Amino acid sequence: MTNRDEPQLTRRRLLVAGAGAVAAASGLGLARGRVPRSFAAPAPRPQRQLRLVGTDGWVSHPLPQHPTSWFPDTLAPGEQTTYAFGFRNVTGLSTSDVLAQKGHAQASAPALYFDEGDEVTITITNVGLAVRPDLTDGHTIHWHGFRNAPVLFDGVPENSVAVPIGRDFPYFFRPVNAGTYMYHCHFEDVEHVQMGMTGVIFVRPSQNGQSHGGYTRFAYNDGDGSTGYDREYPLMVTEWWLRSHWNDAHIQESDWTEFTADVWMLNGRTYPDTLAPATTFDVHGVPATAAGDPIDPGTRLAYQPQSALLRGKAGDRILLRISNLGYQDHAITLEGLGFTVVGRDATLLRGRDGTDLSFRATEIDLGPGESADLIVTAPASSGSSGSDAYGSYDAYPLYDRGLRNGYQLAGSTEHTGMKTELRVYGPGSSLPAQSLPALDTPPVPPLV
Amino acid sequence: MIRTRTRGSTSRPSSPRLRPRPWWLAPVGAAVAIAGIQLSASQKAPAAGAAPVGVVCTTSTSPHASFTLTARDGHISNPDGNSIYTWSLVNGNGAFQYPGPVLCVNAGDDVTITLKNRLPEATSLVFPGQEDITANGATAGPVISGGKLVSLAQTAAPNGGSVTYRFIASRAGTYLYESGTDQDKQLDMGLVGALIVRPAGHPSMAYDPVAGHPVDDSSFNPAAEFVLLLTQMDPALHAAVEANQPFDMTTYRPHYFMINGRSFPDTIAPNNASWLPSQPYSALVEYQAIDPDVGNDPGKALVRYVNAGPVAYPFHPHGNHGRIIARDGRLLVGPAGQDLSYEKFTVDVGAGQTVDTTYQFTKLYDPVTNPVPLAIPPLQNLLFKDNQTYYSGSVYLGKKGVLPVGTTQFNQCGEYYHFMHSHALFQVSNFGASGGGMLTLMRVDPAGGCP
Repeated sequence: MTNRDEPQLTRRRLLVAGAGAVAAASGLGLARGRVPRSFAAPAPRPQRQLRLVGTDGWVSHPLPQHPTSWFPDTLAPGEQTTYAFGFRNVTGLSTSDVLAQKGHAQASAPALYFDEGDEVTITITNVGLAVRPDLTDGHTIHWHGFRNAPVLFDGVPENSVAVPIGRDFPYFFRPVNAGTYMYHCHFEDVEHVQMGMTGVIFVRPSQNGQSHGGYTRFAYNDGDGSTGYDREYPLMVTEWWLRSHWNDAHIQESDWTEFTADVWMLNGRTYPDTLAPATTFDVHGVPATAAGDPIDPGTRLAYQPQSALLRGKAGDRILLRISNLGYQDHAITLEGLGFTVVGRDATLLRGRDGTDLSFRATEIDLGPGESADLIVTAPASSGSSGSDAYGSYDAYPLYDRGLRNGYQLAGSTEHTGMKTELRVYGPGSSLPAQSLPALDTPPVPPLV
Repeated sequence: MIRTRTRGSTSRPSSPRLRPRPWWLAPVGAAVAIAGIQLSASQKAPAAGAAPVGVVCTTSTSPHASFTLTARDGHISNPDGNSIYTWSLVNGNGAFQYPGPVLCVNAGDDVTITLKNRLPEATSLVFPGQEDITANGATAGPVISGGKLVSLAQTAAPNGGSVTYRFIASRAGTYLYESGTDQDKQLDMGLVGALIVRPAGHPSMAYDPVAGHPVDDSSFNPAAEFVLLLTQMDPALHAAVEANQPFDMTTYRPHYFMINGRSFPDTIAPNNASWLPSQPYSALVEYQAIDPDVGNDPGKALVRYVNAGPVAYPFHPHGNHGRIIARDGRLLVGPAGQDLSYEKFTVDVGAGQTVDTTYQFTKLYDPVTNPVPLAIPPLQNLLFKDNQTYYSGSVYLGKKGVLPVGTTQFNQCGEYYHFMHSHALFQVSNFGASGGGMLTLMRVDPAGGCP
């Protein structure tokens, strides 16, 4: 609401106060974006340069007990089932490898994260659609919730520009408000969002690195450590209407007001796929395991790299960054554990007079386009639920209490849909401390 | 995929390869007639005194306010050319309009509302948030007949009956009035409207000042006050009622989603636009930016969200967070004056709920004092959808640039246009054709406005 520019901008304004006339005279050049070199440069900001492609591709959902004419899609290669649009992070790839990602979208879009004070350029390259060469749609990136957004970088094609096939465009941001956001394509929004061009984006506060309340990482600039955490997990909440995906692959129209969801996902996966290990892409953009072994592109989940499995050790504070880019409300609950809602819509829950507006809850209802920051404190672990590479654990299901379980296993008692679990390990677990991988050097390791 | 619908069509489209004319050419003139842009005299709204944008109040006298609302039928038009039979509430003997008039009274007013019913079935009004309401002098309340609830309030008989409701509008705030009879049907048919209660003596505040409240929370610029009343319609229900046929509500499926009774792009047309004779209320939100280089103080824009539909609408204004200052006519302030307001980028307005939100926008970049530090690619290498745009051609607020030849520009002086829309995105469509429905624009003007 207020001007949240950091002091650097003010300083710059002071420095240039006497130079306005000169700058005005060269206004045309400035409008084209050149930085006037005669002005004293402020302290350099960390430069974050990412490149995403927008394209189409194929992903997989659990097979139905009774296949329909439109699911699984008979055009789908290998073990894939579902046509999708999506983004891929191709930062650092060669031009040839970037263009080769046409037809290899991922679901959901890669989680992106930056620090307050970063200078962020996200370049979108539209490489076209492999299955629909007739469909010459543009793409954009809309950083949903970015404050005081200049329209050119807001990604609404009607209000600025879109990126045509074969071109790219740099979306520029100086994030100055920590919190959990989301991003998506806004070209033919109802279609491109539904088709999968949706991802979590979050900004880490400048307070990180300081010590407050025994923590050095925080969700917000809280001043007191109340949002400090040990581990963080982005969760993208979506649901798909599979018929509309089949329609797009088969050159059919969808009446979007007939929207009827059939699969419910976390990070682009349906339970139990949500628990499967995260994967990645190698330096050529080819699917690969975390260890770097290639994955056949026809394999299930090859283009759904983001796991939704949550892990922590007893006593850890775990930050869940949840964004809903579906078209339905979702009642996210964590069975057996409560959490503290510390932020909503990239805003610390605190009144301007310091009144604490955070709250304890066991369920958070998220409407489409809303986000929430939840902090879970992992209890002691008895190790009674199972064991994996990090030792034995207690499992706590996280799911949509709206019971969006999907039709695929109708008649079965097996769980599916929008569901994952939090595994809490004992203090002796080998689970390493979490550090998020850099996004701008391929191959980007999986976020675990 | 881009597509439009043919006039009067209510069925699934049958020609998927068709790439028809752009959606914003569908309504005659609506796309080019943005409410805030200066129109020629012949195009100007006919109603004298009504500003092109912002709330249009229907007022009475104070402290005794008296209104007559006539329930009657008429037709509204949708941007895809569909004309829909609608019921609504009309001010006295005035022209048919949807939604009902925005009634504005002062806190403490003794409000009398006479409902005259020209519909073929009984109807009534309820006033959520008001207390001690009477109907024809008796306590207003549910009507039980044969052991069954038939109405939430005393009804006016079909075809000419009337009933008079009365209450003291005791608290400032944003409220709804709506039919209390056969609500599944009658609310979708259109019997809804907004009620604004203003704090007496505080014309630039939405609520009375609160002792101990640390911030002046509800103040706003009276030139930037907006009501966004959210509704939906299933045209099959309306067609059945028009033809006097039964309708199975279990088959109900809305296909039109509206703000102030209009779907985009009609939402951005001016108040009282002559080509929307039954839908007088603009939904364009317009206010001036804070410009740190100018040091102006444009105040806050106030948006009063009123959800008159049967589901929650997750309303997302682009451009900036809004500060939620009140819900259901109650200021978000603690018992000791604590600030309980908060900022959100999506306002999930529940069914029947009202939410009051203030907006401001700060200019970030300036070609002199704070230039964007990267080269903007040549615009001719980018895509202007349907060769038209609201973009000024410049990244800088208040500046215009050159657009590629052949691009139509709907921009006056470098103002920003941001979307405001439901994020249940199937609702941002006109019967499934994307880029319509529950969508409007937030026009952010540079300091001083456009010349």
